[in-house]
Formats: sequence, C-alpha cells, structure tokens
Amino acid sequence: MKDPLYITSHGILQRKGNTLYFVNEEGKKALPINRINEINCYGKVSLKSGASSLLMKEGIPVNFFNMYGYYEGSLYPRVQLNSGLVVVQQSQHYSDPEKRAVIAAEIVEGIKNNILKTLRYYLKKGKDVEPYIQDIEKEVIKGDVAQIMSNEGRIWHSYYQSFNKILKNFEMDKREIRPPTTEINALISFGNSLLYVSALSEIYHTYLHPSVSYLHEPAERRFSLALDIADIFKPVIVERVIFKLVNNNMLTEKDFNHDVGVLLNEKGKRIFLKEYQAKLETTIKHPEIKRKVSYKYLMRLECYKLIKHVLGDKEYRSFRMWW
Amino acid sequence: MYLLIVYDVDVNRVNKVNKFLKMYLHWRQNSVFEGEVSISQFKKLKSGLKDITNEDKDSILIYNLKDRKNFKLEVIGIEKNPIELIL
Repeated sequence: MKDPLYITSHGILQRKGNTLYFVNEEGKKALPINRINEINCYGKVSLKSGASSLLMKEGIPVNFFNMYGYYEGSLYPRVQLNSGLVVVQQSQHYSDPEKRAVIAAEIVEGIKNNILKTLRYYLKKGKDVEPYIQDIEKEVIKGDVAQIMSNEGRIWHSYYQSFNKILKNFEMDKREIRPPTTEINALISFGNSLLYVSALSEIYHTYLHPSVSYLHEPAERRFSLALDIADIFKPVIVERVIFKLVNNNMLTEKDFNHDVGVLLNEKGKRIFLKEYQAKLETTIKHPEIKRKVSYKYLMRLECYKLIKHVLGDKEYRSFRMWW
Repeated sequence: MYLLIVYDVDVNRVNKVNKFLKMYLHWRQNSVFEGEVSISQFKKLKSGLKDITNEDKDSILIYNLKDRKNFKLEVIGIEKNPIELIL
C-alpha cells in the first residue's frame, strides 16, 4: 500500500535523480516517489517546477493547508480516469430532486448508524451517553434534501454534546470553527480537514467527479463530493482518534497554541497525524468481498458503490460499521 | 512485501544503484535500503537492478522480510535516516 506524506515543517520539494527530495535546514531527505500516493503540506512548502511536473506525471495530488490547518487547495494531477457516462449519470442524479434525496438520505443513514455505534461502544465502557443515543435514534430521515440536512444537523448536534461525557479532560462547549475556540474544536477541525483530503484522493482514483455531490450543495471552489464521503467516516475515524488521544493523555494543553482561537502546534499536529495515519491503515475483514480491507479503502468502496448506483447496477447502501 | 536491500557494487555503479533504489525504498545508510513494495514494484526493482549492474562483478542481497512485523530493528550509535512519512 502506498502511503501519504505529511509535511509539517518548512522546506522545499525538488526533483533529483527521478525521485523527490525534501530540503530544509536540517538537511536533505530522499523520498521514494513510488511509495507515495499524496502529499499534504501543513508547513510552508515550496515546490520546484521539476518536482511538480514529476508529481503530476506520477498522478500524486498535493494538498495545501494554511497555518490554521484549513484546507486551502490542491495541485491536482490531470484526471487519468475519465468517463463521460459516469459524470453525466452522476449529474442527473443530482439534478433530479427525488433521485438526489435517495442518495442524501442513505448518506445520513450511514452517519446516524456510525455515530450510534461509536456512542454504544462508549456506553458499554460505562460512559453516560444514553440520552444522546435516544435523541439520535429518534431522528427519522425522510423528506426532501433540506429536511434531510436538518436531520443531519440535529444528529451532529446531539453527538457533539455527548463529547463532554466521553472525554476525560477538555471541555466541549459547542462546535465552533474559523477559528476553533476550544481544544476539542481544534482537534475536530484538524481531523475533518485531514479526512476530507483522504476522501478526495480516493475519489481521484475512481470515475466520479469530485464536485458533484448529493448531501452537500456542489458549491464552487470545493470538491463537495469529498465532504459527502468524509461525513460518513468521521465517527469511525476522526472522533475515535480524538477520543484515544485525549483519554490516554497523548495530547495535553502543551500541544496547543492559544493565540487567536486554539490551534494544534507542530508537535501536536505530528502526534495527531501519526495516530490518524495508523487508524487509516487499520484493516478489517470485509464480509462481502471476503478479504481484509483498510479503513482508507472503505472510502474507495463507497465511491464504487455510488458509481454502481448512478449507472443503475445496484442500489447504493451507505457504509455502516458492522463490527 | 517488506524488503531490505544491501549492495556491494563497483564504484562506477554505486551512484546509479543508489539513485535507482531511492525511487522505491527508503535510504537507510550507505548501501542499505529498506521499505515496503508491491509485487509489481518488486519485479520492476529486480529487472531495473539487473539492467544497471554487471552480474559477474557486482553483488546485491535482497532480504524479503514479507512483513514489517516479522523483525525488530535495533540501532547502535546514530540512526542516520529514520523512516518517516511525517516530516
């Protein structure tokens, strides 16, 4: 399996001897180009033209984040998997409100199910999350896209409220972004932006068009299908990483910068990234394809299911944790 | 599969082998490379090395460790190049 490269320090990426070098004050480091599938830059990273052309040739997207950890944009290689048919069908499923609602509802069902699984896991461990579970179970997902989105909003709201019961330290007041005002908000924002690019790079490997989405509005300047896919996996990947890091005291006050809002500092980012990456690589036996797949690959499977749905092969059923 | 490659080649070809392997594996220290490859990459790697080197004079050892979990690395002295994809 190819791995993503994360860069949190400042430096220059250059091409030498047909591979990639990262150069900074500490020295030069050769990176095996054939082992990398995406590059995420959190520090100030310059790309030399040789490096960018090599990366585009190899089909490796480079994602840039600003100092707050927000996604800024990508250097996205020429789309190698092109299928007009899929894009046309995908768009038709968006423009027909009924067809769109079917997919959107299915996505929210997935979110609801995965959140409930996560909460029940903590209920078993003796955390008092029963009322939140009941709140979320009450949500009936139906109607048009606007109603489905308000369902989704309420589910997330109850879920974020339950954090105070699960986490041993740090308070979760309310979800706030740009800039996050508490440590937990900072962690959620950072984790979500990571998951967003992971989903994006999985979509890149399929025929789907990344900006035609169903739950989120296909806003300009954003690859909103990645948001759709990422939402299903947030409770499975991002929040579980956060709970682990906080409850095991792997992240403490010292790993945050308190400036305008609260943000992870470089050391904190590294700790988070390491844990996040380990989570993505965790494998699980898939009951249908009967082999072990990583959490990351589950996102790819989600894209394949969507393609089958829009082409009319097999109805889309969103990912629900089965373990 | 997880590979450990150690080479001892003629001085004229040392740089060529080093450059070639850097595309696939992590450079550990002089003439030692390590890293995970897929089966197709392994084939490309072997045929590439055969093209560069002279099989009558050079020697390259490939330890195929199957999995990262099968061995434990201990370092005495300085570790020149830790394998990291979080920089």
